[in-house]
Amino acid sequence: MIASVLPMNDQEKLRRFESEMLPFMNDAYNLARWLVQNDQDAHDMVQEAYLRAFRFFSGMREATSRAWLLRIVRNVCYDHLRKRQVPSVSSDSQQEDLPDTNPSPEAALQTKSEIAAVRSALANLPEDFRTVLVLREMEELSYREISEITQVPIGTVMSRLARGRQHLADALKEMRAKGLL
Amino acid sequence: MTCSESQKRVDPFLDNEVELATAQEMQRHLEECSACESLVADRLALRHCLQTPELRFVPTADLRSRIHAQLQKEIRPPSARFNWLQRLQFPNWILPTLAGAAAVLIFWFGSATYLSQVRSSSGTHNTLSEQLVSNHLRSLVGDHLFDVASSDQHTVKPWFAGKLNFPPPVFDFSDQGFKLIGGRLDYVGDQEVAAVVFQHKKHYINLFVWPRNQSSPLVDAILQKEGFNLYGWDANGLTMWAVTDAEPEALKTFVELEKQRMTE
Repeated sequence: MIASVLPMNDQEKLRRFESEMLPFMNDAYNLARWLVQNDQDAHDMVQEAYLRAFRFFSGMREATSRAWLLRIVRNVCYDHLRKRQVPSVSSDSQQEDLPDTNPSPEAALQTKSEIAAVRSALANLPEDFRTVLVLREMEELSYREISEITQVPIGTVMSRLARGRQHLADALKEMRAKGLL
Repeated sequence: MTCSESQKRVDPFLDNEVELATAQEMQRHLEECSACESLVADRLALRHCLQTPELRFVPTADLRSRIHAQLQKEIRPPSARFNWLQRLQFPNWILPTLAGAAAVLIFWFGSATYLSQVRSSSGTHNTLSEQLVSNHLRSLVGDHLFDVASSDQHTVKPWFAGKLNFPPPVFDFSDQGFKLIGGRLDYVGDQEVAAVVFQHKKHYINLFVWPRNQSSPLVDAILQKEGFNLYGWDANGLTMWAVTDAEPEALKTFVELEKQRMTE
């Protein structure tokens, strides 16, 4: 009975937190999945990230909520990877062996094999490059936001993106030469 | 702009992260240099590739409910007993002396079984009278009783003026045995209310006041709840609720005094 008034504040806080942060759940999952490279772990990472975010949630509306959440996701994933000492290679890099009939890189990815090949190439990039590419190309974040999430200077973000793209372009070129893409 | 400068800037250029002047220089260079233009084309193709929606990973449908369930658990820790103690948001110093506080409570309310009632009904009811009793009880623990301590109505009333957008009636009935001792701000639900505090012998009376927002008139009679006496009534567009552990007769007298003074 003492607590009968106060829990409403918690419920209110939870309601506000969820309405502000849950819209970014798919983005959070995508990032986590690209970082830890495993479905089950990625779900756990997102759940843990939301718990941490809730504990620090002030109830204030911030323009940077999405970047803030992604930063927490990234930190949770790094803690997890450090603990498990998982080498950052893909666990689902199985490659299809059918040559493609439409190899133009300009076209959107048409077939399952193409998607698998690009996934594999991205998954096999060093982790630093993969993170900035996912944040920039898939989540379309600015250099400043990526810098905040990855906790490195903007200049480093810029050079990682440039090198990451070059590595990826080279890897895709090699796959294309082998007839995988 | 040279090719090596252009190649160094191609990524921030495509990411819209360069100054306008640099972007214009890049444009001019690309019109003249086919090598750099083809690098840009490759980069755009790569971007197109990476932005294919199918490349994104999608969580299973239950992730949202998993998160929700975990957060619910976070705000409702499993131990009910610890639960309500934490929610009280005592200052840190009081937790080590909780045993002492409990003893004081038992002394005040004269019932050793009271705490178990509190625990068993925790979180299950949320009626107005329960909230009022809860507020009353909380005001007696620690130093929550008043924000402004004064037996002078001309001190207490102006204090509220800066805090609320309605003037609560503040009178002193020391001569009749109900001494004004202070006031504070409190909440009933999410309504900010005035709490005017009186002392009657060894008992305290919290008079909660807020602008009337119900259509139906209040019962205007004594209510008993968890060993406390409550009296609610409407006056001058205000809703008034007196809560006390004093005897019903004393509460009735107090309410009569208030009503009388408010019609004067």
